[in-house]
Amino acid sequence: MSMVALCPNNNEVHIYKASMDSNSVWERVYVLEKHEQLVSGIDWAPKSNKIVTCSHDRNSYVWSLEGDQWQATLVILRLNRAATSVEWSPQENKFVVGSGAKTVCVCYYEEDNNWWVSKLIRKKHHSTITSVAWHPNNVLLATTSTDSKCRIFSAFIKGVDARKDATTAFGDVKFGEELIQLDLACGWSFGVHWSPSGNSLAYVGHDSTIHFVTDVGPNPRARSISLRHLPLRDVLFLSETRLVAGGFDCNPMLFGSDKSRIWEFISFLDEVKRPAETKTDTVFAAAKGKFKWLGSEPFEENAPTTTHENCITMIRSLAPLSERNPEKSIERFSTSG
Amino acid sequence: MCLQNFPCQEVERHNKPEVEFKTCKELLLNPILICRNESEKCLIESSINSLRISIKVKQADELENILAKKFLRFLSMRAESFQVLRRKPVQGYDISFLITNFHCEEMFKHRLIDFVVAFMEGIDKEISELKLSVNTRGRLVATEFLRQFT
Repeated sequence: MSMVALCPNNNEVHIYKASMDSNSVWERVYVLEKHEQLVSGIDWAPKSNKIVTCSHDRNSYVWSLEGDQWQATLVILRLNRAATSVEWSPQENKFVVGSGAKTVCVCYYEEDNNWWVSKLIRKKHHSTITSVAWHPNNVLLATTSTDSKCRIFSAFIKGVDARKDATTAFGDVKFGEELIQLDLACGWSFGVHWSPSGNSLAYVGHDSTIHFVTDVGPNPRARSISLRHLPLRDVLFLSETRLVAGGFDCNPMLFGSDKSRIWEFISFLDEVKRPAETKTDTVFAAAKGKFKWLGSEPFEENAPTTTHENCITMIRSLAPLSERNPEKSIERFSTSG
Repeated sequence: MCLQNFPCQEVERHNKPEVEFKTCKELLLNPILICRNESEKCLIESSINSLRISIKVKQADELENILAKKFLRFLSMRAESFQVLRRKPVQGYDISFLITNFHCEEMFKHRLIDFVVAFMEGIDKEISELKLSVNTRGRLVATEFLRQFT
């Protein structure tokens, strides 16, 4: 049984349920209504079964399932602009919210007062933060912003994280310290994600580039691929060597790295539906089919032929709890747009 | 036309087309100016959530000048029904379109592009037709009027 939470471009969150067969129908089971403006980020923590949502109304709620109802707990974010993205940390004791106020909020649960408190990272960002991602060690955080940079911060919180987690490749770091600033993209950057082991990082830029950074540490190595297609919006690591990205092309793209650890584009994942019904066996017939298609009404030439009719904005994995270990790759993911 | 929803950075809870206000330089892209000849040009300004296209149509003589102005003013006044049309053209141009991410969410991108292109092609044709009909009518009226003196 899998469940998916999504926002249909308004201030509600809908939760759908479906069984694991490939032709089961998704049915809506819950509607969560608390936000006053567009819900801009949703994340579901599989172990603790909590959903965190953030919205353009500067608020964030943590929802937990009590009996048959989802109860919302307000998070004190102290933001004065819209929140743009949210993600649970790997151990689910913290979550991070990126916002248009050029600040990043890391929130943790305070037992004494029974609510979620935030610590803000106010420095360093020059513009809206578009996307945030946690490193598997629960301490490092990567953010991308419309000032075209990707930054890695430490989000170590005393009392929540154990002292041993703080020793990363960068040594002992305090909360809110910027460790690396990556300036690889020439346009706004979106969609950052860490690989399952935390060794690599990928993010996309609006200049139709995708950047892979390996050996993230004091001496990172980076590789940028410029694409001939429209810009991408979000990425997801399926395993250490495979990554899927989606964007304005409405078609998820698969990237892979081989033994030499060079990342390359592999293929589009969605089959483009050709208008001509006949199967073309020979090259000549295929060329003829193409001419026939071109001669048809010009306004339909650029019609979307993929499953998504508009831009793909977010990709998340659908892997159930038991498959969450670094060796196995994520086989099912959802794209939304 | 890669536009996305973007909440305003300057004012809380607002969502404005950034290309109109131009408050944050980092959210704007470089404008492109395409000139067919001296009298026809097209300016495309873009930002993270909106796109503005301004067109200056060819006006060869005074008559075309007046016709174009009246015709485009007529269309701009009814900008509500066109949705992507701007009520006032940008300074120095005859007509402007404003396309936001909300339009892209409601309508297909390729159809929006087709609409703008068809509009541009249609404008030139319409103005020539109008000019022709004005000239024809003037000629007819003048012939009739002067007939009574012959």
